[in-house]
Amino acid sequence: MESFAKASDRTRGTDDTGAVWEAAPYPVLVVDAGGAVRRANHAAGALFPAVRPGARLADVVPQWLAAAHHRGFLPHQDGHGTGAPPPAVIGPVGDRTYEAHPTRHEDGSVVWWLVDDTDHRLASDALRVERERTAFLAEASNLLLSSLNLERCMDVTARLAARHLADAAMVIAPRSGRRHPVTVCTMDGEPRRARLGVDPSDVPGLAEALQGFPPVPSRWIDPDSAPDWVVPDGFGRVGSMVVTPLPGHGVPAGALVLLRRSDRTSFNDSEEIFARLFAARAGAAMSAARLYAEQASITEILMRELLPPRLHHVDGVEFAAGYRPSADEERIGGDFYDVHPASVDGQESLVVLGDVCGKGLEAAVLTGKIRNTLHALLPMADDHQRVLRLLNGALLDSHHTRFATLVLASAVRRSGNVRLRLTSAGHPAPLIVRADGRVEEADTKGMLVGALPRIETRTHTTELAPGESCLLFTDGITEARGGPLGDELFGEDRLRTALAECAGMPAEAIVERVRMLVSEWLGTGRHDDMAVVAITAPRGAHLSAVGGHGPGRFTA
Amino acid sequence: MTTFPPHNLTLTRTVTDPHIVHIAITGDLDYDTSEEFLETVAEEMDARPELRELHLDCAELGTCDSMGLSILLMVHRRVTLAGIKLYLDNRQPALNRLLGITGTFRHFIGEPEGGEVPTAGSETRIVHPRDEN
Repeated sequence: MESFAKASDRTRGTDDTGAVWEAAPYPVLVVDAGGAVRRANHAAGALFPAVRPGARLADVVPQWLAAAHHRGFLPHQDGHGTGAPPPAVIGPVGDRTYEAHPTRHEDGSVVWWLVDDTDHRLASDALRVERERTAFLAEASNLLLSSLNLERCMDVTARLAARHLADAAMVIAPRSGRRHPVTVCTMDGEPRRARLGVDPSDVPGLAEALQGFPPVPSRWIDPDSAPDWVVPDGFGRVGSMVVTPLPGHGVPAGALVLLRRSDRTSFNDSEEIFARLFAARAGAAMSAARLYAEQASITEILMRELLPPRLHHVDGVEFAAGYRPSADEERIGGDFYDVHPASVDGQESLVVLGDVCGKGLEAAVLTGKIRNTLHALLPMADDHQRVLRLLNGALLDSHHTRFATLVLASAVRRSGNVRLRLTSAGHPAPLIVRADGRVEEADTKGMLVGALPRIETRTHTTELAPGESCLLFTDGITEARGGPLGDELFGEDRLRTALAECAGMPAEAIVERVRMLVSEWLGTGRHDDMAVVAITAPRGAHLSAVGGHGPGRFTA
Repeated sequence: MTTFPPHNLTLTRTVTDPHIVHIAITGDLDYDTSEEFLETVAEEMDARPELRELHLDCAELGTCDSMGLSILLMVHRRVTLAGIKLYLDNRQPALNRLLGITGTFRHFIGEPEGGEVPTAGSETRIVHPRDEN
């Protein structure tokens, strides 16, 4: 170190420029053709402590620089003093890197100008790593978000983690039943799924990660403590391990375990933070997939519950129904119908057909509420007004004005005819087809249920002679859009015309006919829910011997 | 292929005096637009404590489906609680028909629709709301 101070030793003589380049902040060496150092400035002395005039270059600077100098004087180079300088080179000095730029001096010697390149290097390395990571995260997000299937998400997570972050990765979902669904993937393998009945607390930090606690730094985890079930078959000795939570929406979506073999460098802080960034994306995707699966299953359960009942003959009255849910697949529509057969022969059967406003879960829940409430109110079905008022009261809610419109139809066989009581609560009035083909609108009118504090309804009573029918329908039928121009409503007039041709037909045939006509009208167009119920007085013989007045049996 | 053309809802407000606001509805009131409509009305009510009359001009109202009607019922409920009178002005036949079928005409308009209530019977036919216009 002492030699640095003796600048005069190194510079051997001072000319005008000497003081300037002696003080230059960059190391400068003047080396002659024979490889002897002629001059070195202060910065060069600081960098290469052994350098001094007359020293052999190869003895005082790293090999890469000496070799570059030597190459500049090989025979194939131009003659001394006039040739091109050797090419610029880059190499390490201690823990830093330098670019060495040569220039040829007029006397043939070469001046090496050294520029510290370390920070630039580090920055561009860091930039490259960041770019790779950003590209990887973007790819991960794309792959993860393209699936709403939880197992697929776990596969993608394990595969990406094993390819880009570690030698092997295991994704562990929260326990379902007594087992944990897991997916394991090695760097060059395919993801494999399993359900493991294991104790997560075997793995340091895993039980905590599954609860969503922050990850434990990997340097605190002894890789030898990893239980066999975490390590893929044939993996070899685990060199380092990272356990990080997969954060979901409010609840943890699982945990990610990353393993590296003992022959690879262990995870550094930056890699662990990056693994967490990846885990955040994977966790969000898995959580979304799980929420979606739950919602899909709820929808399915509700749909199953809402599927209309199969209809048949009840005590001498024919019922048939048709239901076509909206083509808008994501949403459960609001149409429903129910038939409550008379519990005793000779009593009325109750048919309900309705339409709940809105779509989706809220509509489904309201539909369920209406069907259940009406079921409970069956004993009062002889008074439609009372049933509807009680239903209205049960549905009223101060927070919203979701409502339903519906028709109640009570039907019972009397003396070969069917006596019908029809009450509309804000719903299109039922249509009645007489034996001669006349179509009448039932004279019933009332207010919708569920939104107003008090409702009023008016019941229409009529009789169906054998071969006559009554059709209950939702506005999905009359408002079906289609026709020759594609945007015309099917409308009530077309429905009446169609019904006029249905005089004398059985209930099933009427429903089929209406469905077919509306389907043709729609073509491939979008449509709302559509529901129809036909109630028919069958043409049949009275089998009872009670003079046609008491309860009896009829054939269709 | 039939598609329902997407009608954007446009609401145009006219204030004649501090007590009266007119909102002209242009476009559809349906599942997709009804929330926005309710928010606008709520903002108007909050911004004008002096409000006494809210007129909804329905001349340019397109389709009003059951969600649209539900929101109109909500608007009616809210303004009535606030002591404001709601008017549905320039109703077109389709809206009258909807109010008629759902039995909400009197609730909104304050008077019975048309000829009203013939006697019940198997052969009678009520005045259909569609026939009033």
